[in-house]
Amino acid sequence: MKRLILIFLSLFLIKGVAFAKIDWESKGMQIAGEIIANPAGFFYDFQQDLESTTPLPPGKTFGIQTGLFPTTVPMTYVNGSGKLRLHGEGRIAPGVPQVDLIGGYWDMLAAKMATKDSQTIDSAKFNGYYMGAIVSSSVSPRVRTFWGYKRSVLSAKLRFKPGEEPDFLGTKVSSFDTGFKDDFLIAGIETPKGVSKLWSMQLNYGLKTQVFSSKVSWYGKYFELGLNIFPEGVLVFHPVWNFHLNF
Amino acid sequence: MKKIILSAFIAAGMAGRLCAAVAEDSKIFTPFFDMTMTEAGYLPSEGNIFSGANINTQVGLLSKITQKDHLFGLYNFSYAGAGFAPQDSKQFTDRSMGHNFTIEYRRVLGEKFRVRPGFSFGRDYSRSGANEAWKNGLYNMNTAGLQLAGDFMFDTEKNGIVTLTYLGKSVKFPNYTDLLREFMDPANTAAANGGLQDQTLKQVSLRSGWNNFFGGLTVTQQDYKNQKVVANTGIYGDTKQKDKTTMLDAGFHHKLWIFEMSPMVSYSMHRSNQNFMRYKFLGATSTNLLDGSSDVSFIKKNYDYNETTLSVPVDLNITGKWAVGGAMNITSRAYTDRAKRDSNNNYITGSKQKNMMSTLTGSIRKRINDVAMVRLFYSLVVASSNNKFEKYMPYNYTGNTFGLSYQLSY
Repeated sequence: MKRLILIFLSLFLIKGVAFAKIDWESKGMQIAGEIIANPAGFFYDFQQDLESTTPLPPGKTFGIQTGLFPTTVPMTYVNGSGKLRLHGEGRIAPGVPQVDLIGGYWDMLAAKMATKDSQTIDSAKFNGYYMGAIVSSSVSPRVRTFWGYKRSVLSAKLRFKPGEEPDFLGTKVSSFDTGFKDDFLIAGIETPKGVSKLWSMQLNYGLKTQVFSSKVSWYGKYFELGLNIFPEGVLVFHPVWNFHLNF
Repeated sequence: MKKIILSAFIAAGMAGRLCAAVAEDSKIFTPFFDMTMTEAGYLPSEGNIFSGANINTQVGLLSKITQKDHLFGLYNFSYAGAGFAPQDSKQFTDRSMGHNFTIEYRRVLGEKFRVRPGFSFGRDYSRSGANEAWKNGLYNMNTAGLQLAGDFMFDTEKNGIVTLTYLGKSVKFPNYTDLLREFMDPANTAAANGGLQDQTLKQVSLRSGWNNFFGGLTVTQQDYKNQKVVANTGIYGDTKQKDKTTMLDAGFHHKLWIFEMSPMVSYSMHRSNQNFMRYKFLGATSTNLLDGSSDVSFIKKNYDYNETTLSVPVDLNITGKWAVGGAMNITSRAYTDRAKRDSNNNYITGSKQKNMMSTLTGSIRKRINDVAMVRLFYSLVVASSNNKFEKYMPYNYTGNTFGLSYQLSY
């Protein structure tokens, strides 16, 4: 079966490439321009990669998580997230959903190192946090829906030393001081994929900025693999790898 | 205009989805959840690679107040990103996003009848390739309306149903401005942005389904509140614009051995009393508006067309989990009066414009479990038209699409 899939994939890709006339230089310039136009948006997409916005597995009281890729590597976002269950599903009364608090913080290590060692960067500060709550309810033995709210905040400041400002696409960049702040609504559905393995799909929607993302995740006891999609972002696909423990 | 029609058809589609949500006997509350997401890369024969997504999320709750009285609420989030589209519909880089709410009361009458009055409201955003803020989209629209549907159920083992639905909506475009009129007469803002696209939309549909076969007739009437019809003198008269679309569609979803097919065909007739003035450049003038080669030409019934769409997706279920799929989609539009144009924007007298867009798709589908699936696909798009004026919108091109889609529904 796997061989068959590979053959089909190869055929499709070869067929596609045969028509391809991709101007990579132009595409690169476009991407760079989009980052310069909205640096906070670009960095916030990576914050969403580390945000833990799925409910705790049934029976667990609290959990911790750290994002490994693309957050710690290569973006150097040193990060930690936590979840705390306030109410287990059906504890108070049948049908009352599970309620979890979520939150986390990150700081960009590269920004600190750059400030310390760089000949050109005068100061740099990139960090952010999020907090919120997730309500989850089983709708069948194999399906759980979840709903949530999160407040996300990001701060991105960078200043170059006088006389050391770089030229970017013909423009001298001396500094930027930007940020991102929004209240998000979350809707998702979770279903088992195997023994102790879950699969979920969720939508995060920012009420003020109208930023939205779709997160598809596979997670087990220790790791979460995900594919976060930012249709309006600079890098549309973010493959994600996170480590978590739930107790 | 296309957006409104699309919106109307989506509304009809949503009505179908609403109908599909059925209360489980043992539950007071039954949730409804459907999330599909497609992300794809697009490589046209002219222009550079770009990416786009389609997201549709529906979350709803059906509450069984009594055995005969049900209440259903549904929220629908939709996003249509950049992508290939049939000619004369949208630019590759256009995007849209919508939030729509529907609340429906259901009353069962006897064993075979049900009535479903309801109301809906929504906000739709549009965005062009210029990346303007969502709130500033020229075609942003707010909708609010009422619905009354009646169902007749038969052959319950095979889900037989006949549904008659009436939908009335008010549609407002708060940001719309007529850019050409604004340019030509900057002082007269009332004529340029006085709710020119605002309209009322009425839709009647009669649909039936049985044993996974379905079909129906949908008639949509759009009455513009302010937009006047342009006369052959090049001046707007007193008659207000009215558009009518009649659509017939049919299809089925069946499995035969390892084959799973869900073909669908539709035929639409769009008629409008609006005409069109074609200016070759800003400030153009002409003494003979009826000459298709003039700098300014009057095109009567420019927007009337008949459109056929055919979609034939087939999946070969190789195993319980894996399937190899193929699909063919054809959209063919023939204008009833609009002549084709040459590359210099001259209308060719005696001809009629015809567009066709064909898509061939190959895919691999993996069923993750009974509620979720993922699909990897490649599509070859061939768009052709006898309209050779392509300065602002491509009519003849080929394109490659490769992407990934997920679906999770409960």
